[in-house]
Amino acid sequence: MIILTNNPDVAQTFQDRNVLWVDGSYRDVLIEARDMIHQGRRLLTHPLMGSLKPNETPYRSVAVSSEQGDLDMDSLLLIENAIETFDKFAQVTRPDRGVNTPERMLADFRLIDLSLIESALEDR
Amino acid sequence: MGIIKITDIQFAAESKVEGSVLYVNRDELKAHILEDETLASCELDIAKPGESVRITPVKDVIEPRVKVSGEGGVFPGWMAKVKTVGSGRTNVLKGAAVVTTGKIVGFQEGIIDMCGEGAKYSPFSQLNNLVLCVEPVEGTLQHAYEKAVRLAGLKAATYLGKLAKDIEAEEVRTYETPTITEGIKLYPDLPRVGYVLMLQSQGLLHDTYVYGVDAKQSLTTMLYPTETMDGAIISGNCVSACDKNTTYHHLNNPVIEDLYARHGKDLNFVGVIITNENVYLADKERSSDWSAKLCEYLGLDGAIISQEGFGNPDTDLIMNCKKIEAKGVKTVIITDEYAGQDGASQSLADADIAANACVTGGNANTVIHLPKMDKVIGHIEYVDKIAGGWSGSLQEDGSIVAELQVITGATNEMGFNTFSAR
Repeated sequence: MIILTNNPDVAQTFQDRNVLWVDGSYRDVLIEARDMIHQGRRLLTHPLMGSLKPNETPYRSVAVSSEQGDLDMDSLLLIENAIETFDKFAQVTRPDRGVNTPERMLADFRLIDLSLIESALEDR
Repeated sequence: MGIIKITDIQFAAESKVEGSVLYVNRDELKAHILEDETLASCELDIAKPGESVRITPVKDVIEPRVKVSGEGGVFPGWMAKVKTVGSGRTNVLKGAAVVTTGKIVGFQEGIIDMCGEGAKYSPFSQLNNLVLCVEPVEGTLQHAYEKAVRLAGLKAATYLGKLAKDIEAEEVRTYETPTITEGIKLYPDLPRVGYVLMLQSQGLLHDTYVYGVDAKQSLTTMLYPTETMDGAIISGNCVSACDKNTTYHHLNNPVIEDLYARHGKDLNFVGVIITNENVYLADKERSSDWSAKLCEYLGLDGAIISQEGFGNPDTDLIMNCKKIEAKGVKTVIITDEYAGQDGASQSLADADIAANACVTGGNANTVIHLPKMDKVIGHIEYVDKIAGGWSGSLQEDGSIVAELQVITGATNEMGFNTFSAR
């Protein structure tokens, strides 16, 4: 399993596992995941986990399989739909996408992202 | 179900229900709630329909109920033993609610306005609300704070519900579900219809509990519909104010209510299948496989599927719909939409041709203007930081321009709201 993330708390918590650090935005994580799916990996967690909207939280973590096989169409459809949804939300400007956001709120966004990915990957 | 109508709520020296007025001894209830050592303070306030009051950030809404007869107690696994509920008689303080607020995380959300434009969109604007503002002791982590707020709400609702234990209700509603075999004998010619109730179950601030069990740890299973009326399902879901199912929604599920109204007339309401919405994709596959399997096993002709939340649950919804339809069971899905402020974009993050019968709770991106309120209970400074608000949402005159998703219950995906879907 490879965990793609732009959330430092996730990278820290899963440091003993296979983490691919994405030095970029929520969307950049989705794009990286899409590229890995094109290389034959499968999505393991839903790219739009959580009810925080894509124009709200700046953090995203997604798990994909380490193994590579034939192109997995279900994974590809999910990630493409997620990118499309992200872009739809991005049309409305929000104050809290990592720019001008108080550190306490950023910490809370990191915490939610970490909690969701932890509960998804527990014992796996 | 004994209905005790409440038309007013007041603080008084003694907690009691007299006529249609609910009297609350503020100090006694406060002391009861503060027995939880996680909590540093608890403020109680009252918000009635028509008042110039704004409540925010709302965590949960809970209706006070009490078991009068039958096994178990309301909110099993939390406020009562885990004994199976759903039989006998339950008294309800109809028209009253407990509303919990707390700034568990910085971006918190959920507004209930008691008058004006916003009151049109929330069913809770029509209730006599006892509002709890609870603060934790310093150093309490968010997980523990969330749980403390959740339990404080259940405690307060249980305390109020017990005031109605010995009242003889004037209106009594009866709900009956026969066993599978009885149902077939009673209504051999009526279509068999089930309800697939999807529960949010992703992690911190995104959880639902069934008899005290975290729904994400549970396989898809079945309930008698009446179990939900005794609080078998409670909400720990604090994100996505407009389309989360509060505990109040679970207690008053409109799909269950409407299916009972037609039960034995033009359909046979077989039961409720509860299934989770987990983040891990293999969990989604398993849970939706089991939903479809149970629909087939019960010999359903039709199923109504209701969703909770945004994005990721769209995938669970479509998986459930596709797989149940593939078993030859006709489905209707209930959801809401994020179709952009102009309503022109794709509504859901997932779709399938099998989802050809859909009821919508409305477009959560619709822009609304909420006037200034004289009084705010909770923390107004978060309005810029909540889902559906944006930089400048809070205007200089105290009014708010934001998307409909800021309002608690506005686009509820059980179809409870008044916005549409009726």
